[in-house]
Amino acid sequence: MSAMEGVEQQPAPVVSPFFHPPLTAQADSLAILHVKRDSLLPVTLRTTANDGYAEGAVTNTRFGSYPHSTLIGVPWGSQVRASKVDTGTRGRKTKNAKSGTATPASEPAEQPPQDEAAADSKKRKADDEQLQPPESPTKKMKAAPEPTIKPPQPPLKAAVEAGSGFMHVLPPTPESWTYSLDHRTQVVYTPDYSYILQRMQVKPGQTLIEAGAGSGSFTHAAARAVYNGYPSDSSDTTSHGKVCSFEYHAPRVDTLRSEISAHGLQPLVHVNHRDVYNDGFLLPSAVSPRANAIFLDLPMPWLALKHLSRSSSPTSPLDPNSAVNICTFSPCIEQVTATASALRKAGWTEIQTVEVQNRRLDVRRERVGIKEEGLRGVNSNPATVEESLSRLREVDAKLSEFHAGKAGVPGAGKVQSKAERLEGIRAELGGRKLFKEGRLVHRTEPEVKTHTSYLTFAVLPMAWGEAEEAEMEARWPVDMTVSEVKVRA
Amino acid sequence: MATSNGRIQPNSWVFLRLASDLLRAVEIKPNTIIEIGKYGSVPSNLLLGRPLYYTYEVLEKQEGELYSRLRAVPPSELNADVIAEEATPDESRAEPGTPSGSGGEGIDIVADDGTVIIKNNRLTIDDASRQALSHTEIEELKKSSGGKEIIEQILANHAGLDEKTAFSKAKYTLRKSKKYLKRFTVLPMELGFLIDYIMLKEPARTMEIREETLGLAMAWSNVHFSKSIDGDDNLGVTAPGGRWLVLDDTGGLVTAAVAERMNLLRKDNTTAQTQANNGAPEPSEVSMENGDSDAKPHTPVVHHDFPIPASSNTITVLHAAVQANISLLKYFDYDGNNPDPDHPLHNHLKTLSWLQLLHPEEDPTYREPETATPEVMQTWKSGKRGTYFKKRRRWERCKAIVDETRAGGFDGLIVASHIDPSTIFPHVIPLIRGGGHVVVYSPTVESLVNLSDLYSKDRRTAYLSALAQGNEPDKEDFPVDPRLLLAPTLQTSRIREYQVLPGRTHPLMTSKGGSEGFVFTARRVIPLEGGVEARGNFGKKRKVDQANGSDVAAAAPST
Ligand SMILES: C[S@@+](CC[C@H](N)C(=O)[O-])C[C@H]1O[C@@H](n2cnc3c(N)ncnc32)[C@H](O)[C@@H]1O
Repeated sequence: MSAMEGVEQQPAPVVSPFFHPPLTAQADSLAILHVKRDSLLPVTLRTTANDGYAEGAVTNTRFGSYPHSTLIGVPWGSQVRASKVDTGTRGRKTKNAKSGTATPASEPAEQPPQDEAAADSKKRKADDEQLQPPESPTKKMKAAPEPTIKPPQPPLKAAVEAGSGFMHVLPPTPESWTYSLDHRTQVVYTPDYSYILQRMQVKPGQTLIEAGAGSGSFTHAAARAVYNGYPSDSSDTTSHGKVCSFEYHAPRVDTLRSEISAHGLQPLVHVNHRDVYNDGFLLPSAVSPRANAIFLDLPMPWLALKHLSRSSSPTSPLDPNSAVNICTFSPCIEQVTATASALRKAGWTEIQTVEVQNRRLDVRRERVGIKEEGLRGVNSNPATVEESLSRLREVDAKLSEFHAGKAGVPGAGKVQSKAERLEGIRAELGGRKLFKEGRLVHRTEPEVKTHTSYLTFAVLPMAWGEAEEAEMEARWPVDMTVSEVKVRA
Repeated sequence: MATSNGRIQPNSWVFLRLASDLLRAVEIKPNTIIEIGKYGSVPSNLLLGRPLYYTYEVLEKQEGELYSRLRAVPPSELNADVIAEEATPDESRAEPGTPSGSGGEGIDIVADDGTVIIKNNRLTIDDASRQALSHTEIEELKKSSGGKEIIEQILANHAGLDEKTAFSKAKYTLRKSKKYLKRFTVLPMELGFLIDYIMLKEPARTMEIREETLGLAMAWSNVHFSKSIDGDDNLGVTAPGGRWLVLDDTGGLVTAAVAERMNLLRKDNTTAQTQANNGAPEPSEVSMENGDSDAKPHTPVVHHDFPIPASSNTITVLHAAVQANISLLKYFDYDGNNPDPDHPLHNHLKTLSWLQLLHPEEDPTYREPETATPEVMQTWKSGKRGTYFKKRRRWERCKAIVDETRAGGFDGLIVASHIDPSTIFPHVIPLIRGGGHVVVYSPTVESLVNLSDLYSKDRRTAYLSALAQGNEPDKEDFPVDPRLLLAPTLQTSRIREYQVLPGRTHPLMTSKGGSEGFVFTARRVIPLEGGVEARGNFGKKRKVDQANGSDVAAAAPST
């Protein structure tokens, strides 16, 4: 894919923007453009591009166009206005037509076409709820295409602000990556991976095995968990945290590798092209990763277990000096049964299966009452018995007025008509502080992920036998006949 | 060295999980005796160096010995029951899954290979057709005759077993059933177990935070190891490090979780790197307080009582009381009152009070103590000199922490506090850098619903129009600047546990209630000065909810 090749041509950042975001957004580094809730765009900012804009590299969204020149160098978190872009030579360019920033030349620049993200968010139920986090499994977004050839560029045109539209520029994090990445497979989201990494006690400096790597969502979160610095030179004896990732689908391996390198994670994430059922978890030249934790997101995790024993040959992929935590992630209960059974037979302990149930809550103000009549997004039923009575009396009064009017009684027409009433309500609206009126309520978001997968955890203690026991007896001798200080457990 | 160790380390805290599933915290000191309730007394040296996550059986005391010995029970033995059950799935399906509630010692019938053939609870089931002997008959048998006899009686009367020749031909022995065995499992001092331990004893101490909620909050806080890289020759780069701001009313549990992710929680695996790791070197204030009045070279005394804090990869704890309550850190060998320069938290954990943050001039520690000239000091007794320098060290540390905190620039904020977050935010949100992470935990939802409402779209719109009209937005209507947070989100996680056994897989029938646990998350952003107008759904009738203003409202007229 051209986007990937492009990445490979770019120099990989030495330190990851995920771990050490500088104060401002940098060229040739990943930024997350927050267009609106649930619309995150991962974009590598470029100083130049050859897709025909006079402003250089431009990212188009449904909410405006953003020349990268307006993003590079701004403090992270900044709100940025959209620009009017000059299509310049764009009419002649068709090469990048498939990519996210390229648009058919016929489109007027002021009204950029809907990009994939926007098109997709349109499909979703639009909702202006405040509390709708960026999470959508259907999201398919593309990073800005990476220009493959860089012809000599004319000086860039300065961007001109558009009248409307804005977004925020955020430094990348595993969470924003997870919710914006281009999904090649099902991915593990924050509610699950946060619990998995917590529960497996993954710490900086440890080694984690992951299979299959899929779209790399878990990979990024795992890399953050094990990161304890970059090896600075060969004399550095600290053991550095790493993620050994395995995937048998070649294109996914390629995509993930290029992303990992574009994200400056290549020193700690090793992506291996491997069928782990058949070929296990050793690194090239049969080196053991010496793993402390293992995450299996595979259809048949039990088939991989035989390669995860203390006695696998030629060498075990596990750290011989530590207890090893495992988590398997399977949507179906039959997979769980088979996995649990295989774990028991292989001598794992602390076997436990759970599922994480996560819900997001919408918070809103619910306005109820007759004074809301005719307004939008409210409930104009009577809010109290009093209101109900007053409305009933009104109806009653109207009726008698009607009869009185027919009978020609003077003074008729005093009772407010509905139109007058609504007019009055609307007139008062301007003076009301609606943002603090009504009752503050919360409820579960409209759509809930009720099941992601079952998580089966287990622990393999370090190998123990008579030889080890004898060694410890010598190291920590006891005299069973001498009384000593007692400690209460 | 490896960051986790599979063995029980000397002088480390571990949990003993007893057969009843109760956890006990114990520090394993060499050459001591550990009393484990009614299990007996065990020399600590029998546990040292042995594997964690192993189950140990307390053996009967031997003649002439004061204490019990242990047997490490291999995992294969622990799993044997279920594995045997899986081999005979029909049998297991017929067996009720509920354990018997009968008291007294139970007896299992165990085959030579260690698999359990008949569990104690089968003797108490009501299914008379499967067990011809009555319960009282069995009790009688147990008293009157030997084990062999009982088994033979049971086997002869057990309809299910007749069908299975493999079992009837095997040899059997009696064993105390599992729940009466004196067994315990040694678990490492990990946050998940610490949470289980506290949840049983005093859940309020940690604001009832659950492991899943803690994990969720930590992920959204983006807290991670982030020591600055200062012009490393080999990497050829300079990269900024990170600082996180924490409000912790969980007794130090949240601080511990943050520290774990920053590689600061544990002493053993970082000792070797402490020096290299620290942004600031160990403050080696070679003071003259121990020096003789003549300037003879003397052994420098390094003080550890008030270390000058490191500048990156640090945790700043903002506390409501005079001192931060982070006492749970003792399980990780950290005690703020007893400084240990080898502990990574020693100079990576900074604490300050609300008074020090908001009104440092009112805080006596922040006020600079008087300075004295060397001449004056020479006239002092060494005790007085000592006090003098101590005061100055204390002040220097306090000043460094307070000034740095007030300067802001934190990478993230993590709040687990009894204080209403809407009163916390006005002071601390400005201290978080753009793009930084904000996370608030609360055991109950109400305070977070209120907080979310302060960032509602309507309120933001009203705030912006007040600004656009050149008005100072009313403090009462706008306790916080609603423009400073992006995508405020409220969520809750709960795990559901399953029993996974052959033919008997189902969610657990009961689990703990109590607080649900909620997490509020947002990103700190930097609003544009002046008005911004959202761009909406062009062509169609403009619907507010399609506009891109739904995160940070932008209804202000762009004038
Ligand atoms: C659901 S995806 C993993 C998603 C990933 N955890 C994430 O968060 O993005 C499962 C992956 O496992 C890979 N896979 C399946 N069987 C495999 C095997 N035997 N060896 C290696 N990878 C395998 C598939 O190609 C697929 O990409």
